Amino acid sequence: MKKLAFIIAALVAQAPAAQAVAPVVPVGEASKAVTDEIIDAIAEEMNRAMQQLEIPGAPKPYFIAYKVTEVDVNHAAASLGQTTSKENQHFVTLEARVRIGSPKLDNSNFVIPQGESIDGVSTISLPLEATPRIARRSAWLVTDTAYKEALYQLQAKLDSRRSGGTGRRDVPSLSGAAEDGKAPATRPVIDDKPVLVPALESIEDLEKRAKLVSAVFRDQTGIRESRAALTSYLERRWYLSTEGTSVTDTRRASGVVVAASGQADDGQPLADYFLRYGHTAKDLPTDKELEGEAKTIAANIAALAKAPVLEKYSGPVLFEGEGAVGIVRSTLAPQLGGTPLAEGGSANDPYAGGLVDLVGVRAFSPLLTMVDDPTATTGGGKALIGSYKVDDEGTAAQRVEVAKAGLLSTLLNSRTPANKDDLSNGHARVQGEGGVFRGSATNLFITGKGAIARKALQAKLVATGKSEKLPFTLVITRFDDAAITGAPEYAQRELVQLYSQRDKVLKLPPPAILAYKVLPNGKRELVRGVQLREIPITVWKDNVVGLSKETTTYNFLASNQPELLLRLSGGTDNGYVPSGGIESAVITPDILLKSLTLTGSSVPERAAPVLAPPKQ
Amino acid sequence: MRRIVTVGALLMMGCPGGGTGSSKGQVPIPPVIEGSFDLPTIPAKIETTASQPMDGDTPSARSPLLDVMLGETKREMDALSKQPDPAYYLAYQIVERRTVNLETEGGALIADRDATARSLDVEVRVGSPALDNTRRLQDDQSGVNGPLFRTSIVPFGDDKVAISNALWVETDRRYREALLGLSYVRQDLRTLKTKETAPDFSHAKTETYVGAPATLTFDKAQWIERLKRCSAKALKGSATRGSCEVTFTLNTVWFTNSEGTAIQQSWTQAELAVSVGVKSDDGQNLNRLEQRFGRSPADLPSDAEIDEVIAEVNADLDALHAAPRAEPYVGPAILEGRASGVFFHEVFGHRIEGHRQKDSTEGQTFGSYIGKLIGPEWLSVYDDPTLLTLNGLQLNGFYRFDDEGVRAQRVDLIKDGQLVGFNTNRNPFKGFETSNGHGRRQPGMSSVARQGNLVVEAAKSVPREDLQKMLLEEIKKQNRPYGMVFTDISGGYTLTSSFTPQAFKVHPVMAYRIYPDGKRELVRGVDIVGTPLLALQSIRAASREIETFNGVCGAESGYVPVSASAPSLLVERLETDRGFVPDDRPPVLGPPSVSKESP
Repeated sequence: MKKLAFIIAALVAQAPAAQAVAPVVPVGEASKAVTDEIIDAIAEEMNRAMQQLEIPGAPKPYFIAYKVTEVDVNHAAASLGQTTSKENQHFVTLEARVRIGSPKLDNSNFVIPQGESIDGVSTISLPLEATPRIARRSAWLVTDTAYKEALYQLQAKLDSRRSGGTGRRDVPSLSGAAEDGKAPATRPVIDDKPVLVPALESIEDLEKRAKLVSAVFRDQTGIRESRAALTSYLERRWYLSTEGTSVTDTRRASGVVVAASGQADDGQPLADYFLRYGHTAKDLPTDKELEGEAKTIAANIAALAKAPVLEKYSGPVLFEGEGAVGIVRSTLAPQLGGTPLAEGGSANDPYAGGLVDLVGVRAFSPLLTMVDDPTATTGGGKALIGSYKVDDEGTAAQRVEVAKAGLLSTLLNSRTPANKDDLSNGHARVQGEGGVFRGSATNLFITGKGAIARKALQAKLVATGKSEKLPFTLVITRFDDAAITGAPEYAQRELVQLYSQRDKVLKLPPPAILAYKVLPNGKRELVRGVQLREIPITVWKDNVVGLSKETTTYNFLASNQPELLLRLSGGTDNGYVPSGGIESAVITPDILLKSLTLTGSSVPERAAPVLAPPKQ
Repeated sequence: MRRIVTVGALLMMGCPGGGTGSSKGQVPIPPVIEGSFDLPTIPAKIETTASQPMDGDTPSARSPLLDVMLGETKREMDALSKQPDPAYYLAYQIVERRTVNLETEGGALIADRDATARSLDVEVRVGSPALDNTRRLQDDQSGVNGPLFRTSIVPFGDDKVAISNALWVETDRRYREALLGLSYVRQDLRTLKTKETAPDFSHAKTETYVGAPATLTFDKAQWIERLKRCSAKALKGSATRGSCEVTFTLNTVWFTNSEGTAIQQSWTQAELAVSVGVKSDDGQNLNRLEQRFGRSPADLPSDAEIDEVIAEVNADLDALHAAPRAEPYVGPAILEGRASGVFFHEVFGHRIEGHRQKDSTEGQTFGSYIGKLIGPEWLSVYDDPTLLTLNGLQLNGFYRFDDEGVRAQRVDLIKDGQLVGFNTNRNPFKGFETSNGHGRRQPGMSSVARQGNLVVEAAKSVPREDLQKMLLEEIKKQNRPYGMVFTDISGGYTLTSSFTPQAFKVHPVMAYRIYPDGKRELVRGVDIVGTPLLALQSIRAASREIETFNGVCGAESGYVPVSASAPSLLVERLETDRGFVPDDRPPVLGPPSVSKESP
């Protein structure tokens, strides 16, 4: 890439390289759509805009950033041995983000009432083949649109503050920026070396495997719907900014999902699934293992169909394996972001920096230590997909110790600070186009002191139950994932009902799929319909009573959409492996929490089908 | 894509419910004003070719899929018809569509998609044809019994195990939904004083048709080069968009129902779109979209013809960029060429869709006018989905069987100025007890009566140049400073709900003032507004030349391909208002220099 005359080039001379990420074997090709010439063309337009873009009487931009994203993904899905859908999606987009005002107070992190999409961000498609002329022209158009939006947004933000809006006046809008001739605290990253990753698995390969695995369900009884799907995903990114950022990064993932549904004898819908992601297909289970997982799912559904419903329980709950991942993923990880609620945003936003006032105090159980590390590529011996060189804002990834022995050290920050001196620690993530960068968990490692063997932890659960005179205790080993099981088996009327209960349902953890009563003699009995009540963040301070030595590593895509909205929108389209959301991983021990309570089942009641499935 | 959007309001309660299908309408019939022009009895030129529904029946090409579908239908109906609330009708439709989309912008390939998808629609009716679960509730503001948009996944191929399972799952869902729906319909009826007497479902003939599988053939590399060349020419100067795009589809549809109908249809479609855009100095987005449709990629225009299209849209855009904004206007006007077809589609076509005559929340504009004069006596209108071409141009609204398995049929709608019919599907209403093959939908939606190929005939016509002379006469007669000529309309909407004015609004792209001396001046930012009855009765003359609008129309059953063919029309009085122009401005900076860049 040729040297670009950035306006503040002098300030970036000392910029450090991004922290190293363990290299993946470079066998794939560099992008044919986004070359150095494309980045140069966009940079030239950025410089022109920074120097000349101004509407008379209105402020000029003080910051312009671009993100070029190239996505190339192969999907295939099959049911009962036959393909249901397959496709390649390949596209390139250019996003411009313009800030007006100054780092102390700019247009960002403000939601215009009824105008959420006016956010100083604009996106346009770029060609699939390098065409500098079109790239520059596109940069011209998106910068112009983003600039005009930023003007509206700033005006609305100022109006809101004048009329008593809730923004904190002492907190800057953009942290770490260069001001008053001082070097920026958040150093721009310059690293233009392409990150080469293995090529995508072909659609034909994915389809073949999906057909093979899905065919297992042809021989299983009691299954309503079933599918297997595989995905191979590649996302290249380039970041440019007027601060001097010029960096490229590549994310590569492959995934597999096997899922099935059934119905209990009383009509209650049942579902189970198996989901794995890795860097490539080599990190995924073998065909034989996947066939085994399909049989396990079928067996689980058959067992659930006969299992009793458990609607009442109050006492200790052991979250084991994927169950521990599920409770961390749904009730703890989303709270670790340090990005404040956007001014004008919904006060019910569950991801809006609820812990910002607890930094420096004991916010969690002394048993818990939490580290989020996007620079890690493996954890617990498995590939992690939440890894990156720079975050979605172009800031270098950093390993962050969030809490040590329960003491909240810091939150996961973007460059939108909650407090005056907060800086980004390379955790800005955003789902989809535009919107606010949120400090988010990526590869979240949970460890702790006093961990004991899994068997001993169950014994502790049983003992706790006995001490509380409980007839049984509860173990949860898997939660539902609406992005996988949320197929829209709803009538119009049921959707209306579901939506009308959203305020209540939105706060609940997902329903448990696999939960067991544990009798005083340690024997487990499968139950269904288990729905925990809301789990406030204080539970993680006061209720953690045990951890296991064994850990579970699990990759997933974190969605900004709550569980209910995923259900309403039907989860993933076409039965594919979910590919929308923030690449994330949790590495956690089993967790024993005391004093949790169930609410009634949130799974709808259904009549059993009139007919049995067709003969197979 | 050009879309003619109908806002069909679906809400609420009690309206006078004018008699349908009867000449004893309670609404007074306004007199049709006789035109002052002496028109020669020479019809506008219409030459058509057609293909009848059973043409091309090839039983040997029958897919085993049809028998899998019929087998599951029988299995289901044997059980569901014996339930306390029995299912009396079950239909399956599987749509397999390969869509190839190539898009270029300014000489560069921006999209290259080739995907095949299969979807399943299942219709279960519970109750009886006289009263079933589909009846609209009288007060359904939250849409609890409205149709639910949903397509279901069904595997490719014809594997019996996999396909039957998908049919079973979806049938179970739909039956459950139908039971819920019927319970609400019954509850609704208990509270109503006036009840709908027309049945909910009409009888239809059992059909068996097998169309041979079509094939989609095109040279992808050649098309990419052609499109790059096209878009490089289309994007120029300060334009904000200059794109050329083709979409090729290969469609195969299998339909079965519990009445024994089994239909297999297969066809290809091709569309070329040239789209350019620029922002005017006051912020108006000025766009020109030209589309060409064909039954196969080979039917699309040659490079030379594409060059002509680009030259036209670029010239139009340059002219629009320099054109003044229009002011509100009432006076004589000509709807020229395709604008006339779109005008008829919006103003008339959506109001003669049968289901609107039944729903009490609909305005039922023409419900009382059967047998009455609603336009000039030389004017006739029909809809004929079996037409392949009109005056040599392929028509986009061709089909053999509708989405309810009924043969496509020609329907006379206006005969010699009198309203004589409606487009109907299997939702009967008084006087129109059967479907005439116009039940249409996009996959996932519920069928309603829709247009196919709408054709406006004029038994008396004049050459187009004479039409302009007549307009000049009319301008002088009405003492207007100018008249208006509309040559292209991008779309619009029509309000059909009984709770809104029975009005329409269409968006002309190319609108001209024409002064008494014959001088034309292009204006921009204008919408045509009005009410349908008055608009039809204001038609004074038609041209001999017919032009066709091919496009895609959106309404409550989704997007379906349509055409509208009509002569240019002289209208005695047409009203326009200022179209919405957002508070915006052109890009602050001029386009980046391209002098040292290669394309």
